[in-house]
Amino acid sequence: MSSENNKILTTDGIPLEESLKVAEKKNKIKAFLLVAPLLLFLLITYIIPIGGMFSRSIDDKLTTNMLPKTYKAMEKWDGKELPSEEIFEAFYLDYKILVKNKTVGKLQTQLNLEKNGFKSALKKLARKQKKFKVGNYKEQIMSSHKRFENVEYWRAIKRRAPPITYSKYLKAMDMYLDEDNKIVQVEEDRRMHRILWLRTLEIAFFVTLFCFVMAYPIAHLLATIPMKYSNLLLICVLLPFWTSLLVRTASWMILLQQQGLLNDFFVWIGLFTNENRPQMMYNKTGTYVAMTQILLPFMVLPLYSVMKTISPSLMRAGKSLGATPTVAFFKVYFPLTIPGIGAGCLLVFILAIGYYITPELVGGASGKLISNQIAYHMKSSLDWSFASAMGLMLLTGVLAIYWLYNKLVGVDNIKLG
Amino acid sequence: MKKISKLLLALTFAFSLSSSAFAVTVASWGGAYTESQKLGYGDPTAKALGIDINWVDYSGGLSEIKAQKEAGAITWDIIDLYGHNVINGCDEGIFVEFDFDKDFPPAPDGTPASEDFFTDMPSECAVGNILYSWNYAYNSDLLKSSPKTIKDFFNTQRFPGKRGIYGTAYTNLEIALAADGVKMGKGGKFVYKKLEEEGYVDRAIAKIKKLCDDPKGGCVFWSAGAKPPELLMSGEVVMSTGWNGRFFNAAVGEGAPIVQVWDGQGLDYEYFALVKGGPDEANAKKALAMMTSTEMLAGSAKYIAYAPWRKSSIAVMEAGEPWYKDGKTNMVPHMPTAPANLKKYFLVDAEYWADNGEEIGEKWEVMKASVK
Repeated sequence: MSSENNKILTTDGIPLEESLKVAEKKNKIKAFLLVAPLLLFLLITYIIPIGGMFSRSIDDKLTTNMLPKTYKAMEKWDGKELPSEEIFEAFYLDYKILVKNKTVGKLQTQLNLEKNGFKSALKKLARKQKKFKVGNYKEQIMSSHKRFENVEYWRAIKRRAPPITYSKYLKAMDMYLDEDNKIVQVEEDRRMHRILWLRTLEIAFFVTLFCFVMAYPIAHLLATIPMKYSNLLLICVLLPFWTSLLVRTASWMILLQQQGLLNDFFVWIGLFTNENRPQMMYNKTGTYVAMTQILLPFMVLPLYSVMKTISPSLMRAGKSLGATPTVAFFKVYFPLTIPGIGAGCLLVFILAIGYYITPELVGGASGKLISNQIAYHMKSSLDWSFASAMGLMLLTGVLAIYWLYNKLVGVDNIKLG
Repeated sequence: MKKISKLLLALTFAFSLSSSAFAVTVASWGGAYTESQKLGYGDPTAKALGIDINWVDYSGGLSEIKAQKEAGAITWDIIDLYGHNVINGCDEGIFVEFDFDKDFPPAPDGTPASEDFFTDMPSECAVGNILYSWNYAYNSDLLKSSPKTIKDFFNTQRFPGKRGIYGTAYTNLEIALAADGVKMGKGGKFVYKKLEEEGYVDRAIAKIKKLCDDPKGGCVFWSAGAKPPELLMSGEVVMSTGWNGRFFNAAVGEGAPIVQVWDGQGLDYEYFALVKGGPDEANAKKALAMMTSTEMLAGSAKYIAYAPWRKSSIAVMEAGEPWYKDGKTNMVPHMPTAPANLKKYFLVDAEYWADNGEEIGEKWEVMKASVK
């Protein structure tokens, strides 16, 4: 018997296997078409912007294109001593065109980001170069500003030669590449980003902790009292959740300020004297208080929905088997709520780590987070590539936490409801 | 019903089209200042020229207009700016360059515009608007004795409590050095000479940081001009640097217990710049010329204590005293240029900040991030 005869045929003579394939293919296309809008949505709103951010954070074509002659002349320069006349001339020729076209501002800004103090030298050169004579450009440029006599500034130009760079990522960690291509740390008194990263982690951690400590009893109460009361309480939890973020932050400002309601109350009950009112705003305390209150519902709701499903008879069974209420709670009830705790903590932590508006308004100088620094570079210094690099680092951090959580607890255990 | 709503829709659409075609947008600093501009010369100009003038708030700097340019959607026609911003923006080709005598009307007696201005403009793209002061004020209800000098602003032993400080280094370095014992010289010349020397910028920043880290002191950084009087009135700070016109409006206009200290004040010029390629450049230019004419500039001083940029406007005010809108307050003594207020002052050096602003800004941000 040949193998062909073994195949089962459908009524119209096509082998069953093939006809099944055709049918499945149709189903697959249908299924794909059904998810296509969502896929497209994710692609447009998530993948493409993140890709754009990434390419912006490493793109360094701007300076490369602005100083073509200089970079060509610099190819052979080893960066040890001051460059030769040839390089100075090339730089002068490039720079002249930029001044004429009024595009010089961008180069000044970029080079100043690379080496602090470059801008004023370049601006002076822009004014003085109009009177330059032909020949001996090295001397003329160096006499326009003494910073051009410093080889550091020429190295800074050379560092910007490659069209792709990862220096922004180093800068976000307070490090940079020196002329020997070694990664070195910036001076101690200029390390600001590490302070901000650590502060962000610290505040996100403690806000999560405070939220957990406060939300657990609330959620337990909500899950155990009769429906008619629990609905009312749930509305109390949700009402602030539905109120605008700005309104809530502003009301905290009214409560916490020096002559605010809370301080007035403390003075009235005699906790503090009128002269020694505690600072509760424009510092870390303000950030902690306002962020904890704002993020509390994100902890209460997952906890509540998990606790709601735990049968009260389990605790009773524990107790009837001889456990004290404390033991029964820790051995029976608490382990069952872990999926809710995981969901709530992850949610609050991730939201807290990228928080912006509340620290901006109530944080003062000591309550600022990394997101405020990102906003500063987006809005004020206009170093968008640096802002993109820090944004991506934040995203990577969140993904790392998610991965860690998955390893330790398991994502399958998360329950949002 | 359906027809009416359709008609309404069409009407609003047509209206929005027509209004957007004849509207000039001016970005300024908001609050009492924008109010004075709007009432003083914005509305009269709009009425005279038959165009709409929209006022939008921003908090200074070139970043927003640069972002608009980058995105290819410029929405502002005229911007109210610091001198150093105009210089930088002009270098980068963001603003239109003026021919002052041609583009701006002469004084009522026929003096050409360029001779009617207080001094020369720092850049061809700038047209002067007001002279104002960076001074400081305190809440007299919160302090037992009254501070008198710029040194007192940093004296937390005698005057404990938080201070309101401008959020960027601009003008802060000058007062820090002056309070640290550096001689100011006439118009603050020595201060700028020292700031060019090695180490003095760091010294000034360290002085501010010491004030912010001091447990008896502490800082609240402000960026919107309306904030200093608000911080003082809410008792959040006991003293704050700020703009004299805002303090004046809170103290005289609203009767708040705010007292200004003029010692060590920074006299500064404020300018308008015309955006190149703005949504309605032609009308904006017409409006700008009218808004900066003698009568119009004097008009804004009716609502806030800032000195107009034209000499002839001061004459209009003096002739019309009491000039303040309440009809009983003389305005000239409240001007930052009044002799009593000019005993010890520095003239803010736009050129210095145009050249060095960015590199100082980076140091300043490090200081702010490390405040305890």
